Amino acid sequence: MTPSLSAVLGTELGKLKRSLSWSIVVLLPLVMVFAGSFMTLVSQQQLADGWHTLWLRSVVFYGLFPLTLGLGILASLVWRPEHRGGNWNALMSTPVPTLRIVLAKTLAIALLGAVMQLVLLVAVVVTGKLLFGLPGLLPPRYLVVTALLVVAVLPVAAVQSALSMAFRSFAAPVAVALVGAGIAAVALAAELGGVIFVLPHALTARATQLATGTFGDSGQLTAGGSLAIVCASAVLTLLVVALATRFQERRDVRV
Amino acid sequence: MSAVTVGATGPVVVNEFAKLRHLRVGLVAGLMVLGTVALTLLSTVTSTEFADPATRTWDVPLAGLSLAVPMVSPLLLAVVASRMVDIEHQGNGWLLGSTSGVTPGALCRAKLLTAATVVVAATVVTHLAVWALGRLAGIDAPVPVGLWAGFAVTSLAVNLVVLALHLVLSAKVDNQLVALGIGLLGTVVAVFGSGFPAWFAHATPWGYYSLVAVAGYEGEHLVTTAPSYPSVLVLVGLAAALFVLVTSRFDRQEARS
Repeated sequence: MTPSLSAVLGTELGKLKRSLSWSIVVLLPLVMVFAGSFMTLVSQQQLADGWHTLWLRSVVFYGLFPLTLGLGILASLVWRPEHRGGNWNALMSTPVPTLRIVLAKTLAIALLGAVMQLVLLVAVVVTGKLLFGLPGLLPPRYLVVTALLVVAVLPVAAVQSALSMAFRSFAAPVAVALVGAGIAAVALAAELGGVIFVLPHALTARATQLATGTFGDSGQLTAGGSLAIVCASAVLTLLVVALATRFQERRDVRV
Repeated sequence: MSAVTVGATGPVVVNEFAKLRHLRVGLVAGLMVLGTVALTLLSTVTSTEFADPATRTWDVPLAGLSLAVPMVSPLLLAVVASRMVDIEHQGNGWLLGSTSGVTPGALCRAKLLTAATVVVAATVVTHLAVWALGRLAGIDAPVPVGLWAGFAVTSLAVNLVVLALHLVLSAKVDNQLVALGIGLLGTVVAVFGSGFPAWFAHATPWGYYSLVAVAGYEGEHLVTTAPSYPSVLVLVGLAAALFVLVTSRFDRQEARS
């Protein structure tokens, strides 16, 4: 009997214990919120539009580069044990179907990515209340954006997982993530909205811009825009997972 | 082996250069050049200061370079260092080196020398490319040689310090997540550095990118400023001393398997 997807995912998460993954998952969003808030405090400016300004300063740059690079590092971390010692051959000779392994690795990375978004959300709320004394709570639309972000990290998790599977090097896939993020930033600056259906890094960056009014965003959270993020995430993730599985099935054990 | 003195620096560096080809370090250096030039070009052509062909000055691409270098360099330097050192972790290179007379510290110093050569070459190509593209874009104003050379040298010095730090980090901590994670956080500090107070910029190597920036926007206005030479000089001196100290401590450790 082959192990179920949840069992394989459980194994993957078990491998992450004591792997220092928390340093990216927790520190990166905290540093981003801290950097945005610190600059505001140092310049002695006020948050002109309250929660909206705080969200914008914490999230937009984070989505352009740090988020995708963080996911790239986490993907390298998740595949790292398989590239060491004889683990690759052990993985290839287990009765677990390749699709299940690829899916479990992708989901493990995406799960860490989801926790990153929650840490970011909590950090923004705590900073807004304690540091700036903003009235009320974060507007609900940003909770929806956070939920969309949790979905939008899936395709980047899938593509970075595939790269980390293909490359033994820890750093090479991260360099590719930087290139992807750079192309995404230029395409979004040029207001090429369709790029989110082609480039996973652009999709994640676009999701962080929702309701901010930056780049090509209208400043409103619309059903159409949200649906586009969800659909593009589903299509790109399935496509990348299918391609990665096919690629992996054609590879052999290593000697 | 008879023609080579065991443990001598020259052959070790030559060997490191040979390793570079398979590590695709040239490709990463190419990415660094391409990314920096592309970002500089993008910020130049979209600047309002660049709209009128009659008043185009070199300050605009210099402001672009001052922004692009801290955005692109820190992470790619971490990638170069990690690529060069991780093979020793994976392939038992530390032990192999030690048994053939090349201590881990000497190997790290050779790696720095090799990688620094690549970074210097990438820096020269980057600045020449920006100059050539600026000329093609119709900047006829005289080149501010002193300011530009000051930026090129000081930003290169900061890059080399960051590179040395990453070589040590990647060598010390087997898990490359640490080195690349710090590289990523360093990028954030480098990019946001100009908004932080001077004391904060002096606190980490990445903050120095903001201290060497020679042009930038204050609101709508473009202003130029000389790089902070004394700060960079102190940083380089301190980093060199620490690098020698740490790598010589590597030499006294028992060979790692």
